[in-house]
Amino acid sequence: MTSRKRHRASWAPGGIIVLSLIGSILVARWLDMRRPKIQTEVQQESLYLTGNTLKRMSLSFNGLVADWYWMRSLQYVGGKILNAQGPVQLDDLGQLDMKLLAPMLDVATTLDPEFMEAYMYAAVVLPGLDEEEAIRITRKGIAANPNEWRLYQHLGYIYWQREDYASAGQAYSEGATIPGAPPWMQAMKARMAAEGGSRDIAREIYARMYQEAGDPNVKEMARLRLLQLQSMDQRDVIRKLLDIYKTRVGKCPASWQEMAPLLRAAQLPVADGGPIDPGGTPYKLLPNSCDVDLEPGSSIPYK
Amino acid sequence: MVGRVLAIAGNAFREAVRDRVLYNLVFFVLLLTAAAIFIGELSGGQERKIIVDFGLSAMLLFGVFIAIFVGIGLVYKEIERRTVYAIFSKPVGRGEFIVGKYLGLCLTLLVNVLLMGAGVSLALVYVSRGFDPLVWTIWPSIFLIYFELAILTAVALLFSSFSSPALSALLTFFVFIIGHFSSDLKGLATSLGSTAARVFFTAIYYLLPNFANYSFVTPAAHGHVPGIPHVAASVLYALLYVAVVLAATVVIFSRRNFK
Repeated sequence: MTSRKRHRASWAPGGIIVLSLIGSILVARWLDMRRPKIQTEVQQESLYLTGNTLKRMSLSFNGLVADWYWMRSLQYVGGKILNAQGPVQLDDLGQLDMKLLAPMLDVATTLDPEFMEAYMYAAVVLPGLDEEEAIRITRKGIAANPNEWRLYQHLGYIYWQREDYASAGQAYSEGATIPGAPPWMQAMKARMAAEGGSRDIAREIYARMYQEAGDPNVKEMARLRLLQLQSMDQRDVIRKLLDIYKTRVGKCPASWQEMAPLLRAAQLPVADGGPIDPGGTPYKLLPNSCDVDLEPGSSIPYK
Repeated sequence: MVGRVLAIAGNAFREAVRDRVLYNLVFFVLLLTAAAIFIGELSGGQERKIIVDFGLSAMLLFGVFIAIFVGIGLVYKEIERRTVYAIFSKPVGRGEFIVGKYLGLCLTLLVNVLLMGAGVSLALVYVSRGFDPLVWTIWPSIFLIYFELAILTAVALLFSSFSSPALSALLTFFVFIIGHFSSDLKGLATSLGSTAARVFFTAIYYLLPNFANYSFVTPAAHGHVPGIPHVAASVLYALLYVAVVLAATVVIFSRRNFK
């Protein structure tokens, strides 16, 4: 064999590898583009394996499989939120069809019964979809981890959301008896009975959630709810100021500038003469109804 | 005798290193690095737990493959290459040969497990942006994984002493799987009405290794440490089980005719 032939022979396999690889990528892309979309019914098909079956099948890798289902749950919720029309809050996903979320979180917590973040996610996200499943999974967590006061906190949160303040107070009270539970758990029982639906209770609940959440999405949800509560307080103050203005002048202001001295005196955050919400967006003045509202582009949740 | 066993063990370790068995560490490190970097995006704040679950599970899986594929080749290759004749022409007993080979692979697995454990600890420091208590608390679990692998290596050696490599690998893998279903076997034995069936499943339960004793990865990811009595009993169980399996291997291997 001449040296030229040898040189060509040594380059040939490399060339075949590169060309074949490029060809296979192009064909794969072509197939991807023409693949029919998976039907929603198929996408939402129930999980074939229950948590207990998977626990057996996963040998000693159950923690890893639990992590897999946990990450699938996050991707599932994230995907649904991205595909939703308009902004959606993590604790208000009832409008989205997410029937696989409860089974996935159930599997994750069965495979790893100490997976606290999964329980918290179930307590925050599931009530908007299926309250009973949220309660069942949280109670399953309590049965598996009787010394975890945080699970009682989650249970209290679920009951508080469904406005069952007696059960919420009971959950906080039971959690308060666990060694290591913070004193505010006991205080929550009394407060639930006295002022279950108040903003102060809501503020306390979301502040605790914000402190303890590991998942950035849950943390963000709690932060937005806290800002929403702050915005509600601000709007109450602004409404009072609008009443004062109307009493003094006899009509509603046409712009925020007209009542700038009142806004400044109330020490509300102001930009360009108008009050701004905790997200930094100016409030909308409704001169006809003499009211205030959030701007549609505001980052503060509307409901 | 101890000197001869150690010489064979050292040789088996060198052979494993020469066979590039420890190259799996490179793949492990790549996997762990990728997980540490990308898991943060997907885990919802559970990076530490996932790194421990992932790292220790990969350690067990890699260890199982080494125990099976290297373990079954330890004796078989010596017979296939006919080097076993050269060994037995010297004053080396068959029992010494088996025990030496076993200890050599255990040493390989120990180095492997220690380096992988160090890798998981470093990955934890990386994802925690500093020291993390899990860096220390995962080690008892790693210790238990090592003893699970030690049992599996002995089982692989037993099968390879009388069977072909492919069949040995299959049988050892079955033992690994069934060993994790031990509690089901026991449950089956107690729930059956027939005495013969109950005796059969109870016998199977005690004959096969109970790997559930060594499964502590999931609690370790939550910072739990197995109790000293549990670890001590599991180590004792492993030593006794390995003694039984190696003795059986020696008996079978001693009866083989190499003429």
